[in-house]
Amino acid sequence: MNLDFLIPAADDGALAHSPMEPPARKAGARFEVRDGWNVAVEFPSRSAAEDAVTWADVSHLPKVELQGASAAIDAAAGVELPFGTAVRQGDAWWCRLTGTRALIVGARPALESADGVNTLDVTSNFAALTVMGPLARETFARFCALDLRPHVTPVNALRPGSIGRQPGILIREDEDRYLFLFGWATGEYMWSVVHDAATHLGGGPVGTDALAKVAVGA
Amino acid sequence: MSRLGKQPGERIARDTTVTFTFDGKQVQAHEGDTIASALYAAGQRTFSRSFKYHRRRGLMCVAGQCPNCICAVDGAPGARACTEPAREGITVTHVNATPSLEFDAMRATDIFGGPFTPPGFYYKTFIKPRRLWPLYEKILRNAAGLGKLRKSQPEREWRTEYRRRHADVLVTGGGIAGLNAALAAAQLGADVVLADEGAEPGGQRLIGGEVHEIAALVERVRGAGVEIIDHGSALGYFDGMVPVWQRDTLHQVRAAQHVFATGAIEQPLVFAGNDLPGVMLAGGARRLVSLYAVSPGRRAVVATTSDRGLDAAVALRAAGVQIVAIADLRPDAGDAARALRADGVPVFAGHTVIEARGSKHVDHAVIGAAGIGSGGDEHEFECDLIVVSGGATPASSLLLQAGAESAYDPARGHFALAALPDGLHAAGEVAGAETDETVAWSGELAGLQAAHALGRATDESTARVTELEGLLAQPNAVAIAVAPPVSGEGRGKCFACLCEDVTSKDVHLSIEEGYDSIELSKRYTTVTMGPCQGRMCQLPSVRLMAQETGQSLQQVGTTTARPPWVSVPMGILGGRPVEPAKRSAIHDRHRELGATVKWAGDWRRAYDYGDPEGEALAVNRAAGLIDVSTLGKLIVRGPDAGAFLDRLYPNRFANLKPGRIRYGVISSDAGRIVDDGTICRIDDETFYVTTTSSGAGAVEEWFSWWLADWGDDVQLTDVTQGLSAVNLAGPKAREIMGAVTDLDCSNEAFAYMDGKQARIAGVDCLILRIGFVGEVGYEIHFPSAYGEHVWDALMDAGKPHGLRPFGLEPQRILRLQKMHILVGQDTDSESTPFAAAMPWIVKLDKEDDFIGKWALEHYAQQTPTTALVGFTLPNGHVPTEGAVVVDAAGTPAGQVTSARHSPVLDRTIGMAWVPEALAHDGAKITISDEGVTLVADIQTRPFYDPDGEVLRS
Repeated sequence: MNLDFLIPAADDGALAHSPMEPPARKAGARFEVRDGWNVAVEFPSRSAAEDAVTWADVSHLPKVELQGASAAIDAAAGVELPFGTAVRQGDAWWCRLTGTRALIVGARPALESADGVNTLDVTSNFAALTVMGPLARETFARFCALDLRPHVTPVNALRPGSIGRQPGILIREDEDRYLFLFGWATGEYMWSVVHDAATHLGGGPVGTDALAKVAVGA
Repeated sequence: MSRLGKQPGERIARDTTVTFTFDGKQVQAHEGDTIASALYAAGQRTFSRSFKYHRRRGLMCVAGQCPNCICAVDGAPGARACTEPAREGITVTHVNATPSLEFDAMRATDIFGGPFTPPGFYYKTFIKPRRLWPLYEKILRNAAGLGKLRKSQPEREWRTEYRRRHADVLVTGGGIAGLNAALAAAQLGADVVLADEGAEPGGQRLIGGEVHEIAALVERVRGAGVEIIDHGSALGYFDGMVPVWQRDTLHQVRAAQHVFATGAIEQPLVFAGNDLPGVMLAGGARRLVSLYAVSPGRRAVVATTSDRGLDAAVALRAAGVQIVAIADLRPDAGDAARALRADGVPVFAGHTVIEARGSKHVDHAVIGAAGIGSGGDEHEFECDLIVVSGGATPASSLLLQAGAESAYDPARGHFALAALPDGLHAAGEVAGAETDETVAWSGELAGLQAAHALGRATDESTARVTELEGLLAQPNAVAIAVAPPVSGEGRGKCFACLCEDVTSKDVHLSIEEGYDSIELSKRYTTVTMGPCQGRMCQLPSVRLMAQETGQSLQQVGTTTARPPWVSVPMGILGGRPVEPAKRSAIHDRHRELGATVKWAGDWRRAYDYGDPEGEALAVNRAAGLIDVSTLGKLIVRGPDAGAFLDRLYPNRFANLKPGRIRYGVISSDAGRIVDDGTICRIDDETFYVTTTSSGAGAVEEWFSWWLADWGDDVQLTDVTQGLSAVNLAGPKAREIMGAVTDLDCSNEAFAYMDGKQARIAGVDCLILRIGFVGEVGYEIHFPSAYGEHVWDALMDAGKPHGLRPFGLEPQRILRLQKMHILVGQDTDSESTPFAAAMPWIVKLDKEDDFIGKWALEHYAQQTPTTALVGFTLPNGHVPTEGAVVVDAAGTPAGQVTSARHSPVLDRTIGMAWVPEALAHDGAKITISDEGVTLVADIQTRPFYDPDGEVLRS
């Protein structure tokens, strides 16, 4: 036996679904199958929202937990993983959570050669939203007490904390762009929280195809 | 109309017209007007009726401090007309007067009911007969109050927001001191927020007409990057967080440094009739003139204890108001008084106002020499306005909430700040600065000091601090006289508290009745407990208390400063109505299947699908499928994982073979049951631990706590939300499994308490053969992303076999049939494994120590006094959970923890804690259930499949 049952990789046409699919569908999302996931790629155009704040469901991003001694994790990463900062490696963010645990978001690394490090797929532990736009920080201020001022939370900062009254992890990907991770089972709730705050500020949801327009600061 | 010609600093746009209604009548206003200024300009003088006596009340402070102009706007009570902007189309109505503001029937309370309505009269007059209290209460509640809430729920709802704002420095107060503080701190690079409760910053200076100077300063402040929150009232101080209420938004401002530039509050004078419309604070009268170009009256008498009153007299004269007399309490009122005298204004030094006369409005004022009662050196003047200024008291409530200390200053006649904790700075009048220059300097100093505390000092700023400290060390106080506690007592009601209609006589009475400290008197008379939150009444009531008790004001002290400093709608504090809810990945499918969804801890769960007994029966006779994704799920991994679990559980896990499952109960240090679940060994170093749904968080925390303490080479990962889980159970479960997986599910290949890994409908799953519901069962765990996919596959495969979904309620029936306990339902904080009929779970012969071992060894040597057993009832009655088990004498001796009708057994079954002596098969217990007495038969073995043959088949 092994822990492969944690990995969302299926055959026989089984599609993986985000917990935010129902509200996204209600908001008019168009879905496409991408890498075995049913992904909301596009929403009805909301050009005005892009000037305020938009959010996209990126729950399909692979997430892997690394477990091992601090030095072993750094060795696996190839760089030192400091606390409070997410390190961009290729398509993934490497985030140190504790002295002996790190989270990789965005890719499944091949770590066979890394001695002393175990991996655990936690993709469906965390749902995820990319929240972006000039009012992204203001949006978070409506449901989160983390200090996201630029000099306190610079680009690439990693901030675990209470977000929307639930445990969450925030990565500031770029000037006005945040990757927000939270418990899978709270997906629908968290969508409603972000929707409530962001639409009041003139925002709206976007599909993952809109994300390509925004460069991630690494 | 009382509208004046253009004033230098007026804030109204005369070329605009705004129309609203007040009690059904149309009122014209200009943009920039408040409701009160427009009404006053239109001739309205009575704005409300008082809380208890229903006396007429008119404008007094014109600054949102006093309760006199409270009204309802568009049906929402609690608005202060003097600060609420006049907006097109709004409907303004009076509060607390029936049938009308002009004729209020409850005024009888004042005219005839005085002797019967002392403080606490509702406890005295209406105490007997006690049975009539509900009627009295209804009448009293209807008579008192400051408006009525809107009746229908939709009308009561409006969108409110929380906004969290972190800052280096929060400046509370947007007067000159606050603006200078914000500017100084921001210029040193600090991130500064300034909260000002006015429509625009500037404070007192705005009424001096210095509009352009203020605008330039505000521009510089904004230019330095300061965020200004206008209309922003600071509600309190909570360990560095200050909630600032701005219209429909509550800003939660968390700052490292706080500057309070909250100014001072002009105090009224306590004299006979001091609540009559036409009695107005000097600042209020000036605001009407300067900001709104409205004349407060035609003929005014001014009574003052400082230059504030004289400045007001000068300003009012300039606006065309005739000053018929000035009573200045100071023996020598100085140059300002001499100038007024030279202009022909009679100034009476050493005098104060002792009575306001008039029925609906002031028509005469009586002034007299300080200290006299009735008669003597008195002067009566015909007037329609009495301008009063009893000095000013620092607005220090927020500072005091933050830990500052105050002390009575006999020279100023008020409580001044005496000490500030670290991180707090006071500036302007609240800090004792009184002149324009010192107010500005103290603001700049506080801003610099706040920035310096953040490590932002420069040589230049350090030098400036030294310079400012030198400047502020010079005496800056202006001459004032301390107002007497009360004047003209005996001529009429002298109000110490306008909000709650507390008179000087009431304070006297409270002391006579033994409430002789200011805190007790506050609770007895309710002084300082009204909408002004003590702004207008704290100092007068302290003075009265000191006079009555012979104590000094320092000895009397002040009441405790508490939030909210400003009366605020509850909805603002409530924020957005979002409630965290966890939903399984199969949630929508349950809805589609008609499930009744209920809260189960922080999860939304399918309670049943409309037929709980039918669903349970389906599990016993065919097959059922339940979503158990809410179970806690932990991966415990590492070389020490087995040893780690052995130390956490009373039984053994290190010797569990990979692919096998064992049940475990977690006990506390005291040997009490705290949770239970199953543990499957995945490989030598990996265990998959499940917990109860409600205990998931606590168990994860418990494991983490001990892991941190013991330092084992173990990693703990909570995958509760990452994995969905369903339980397929029933006689047909094996066949259904055969249809969805290639796994050999025969009993030989996949035995009870085995764990296997296999694909179901293409999804890799962990399958645990366990049986909480008492039938052959497979608990299937898989990534949540496939929740509905796997559920649908199982439901489709099960259709030919009569598979039905079942919810939480049928699961409870099924587990009860097997006497499987529910931790927290059948156990409580005192339950041990021994008493809960699970002595077999405790392995006291384990070599190493484990949590609760010492206590469990102790319990092992004792016979428990009570035991958890099953029972049946023959007559079909299902007792309430919690029903009492009584002994022969009728004394409570235990309780029912679970009870249901079992559809498969067709009888009532249950579990109960009973005296140990009765914990054997065949014993009878008596249950007292809400007046019904029932006799039940004890059963110690499971009601269904007692030997577990079905489960293991």
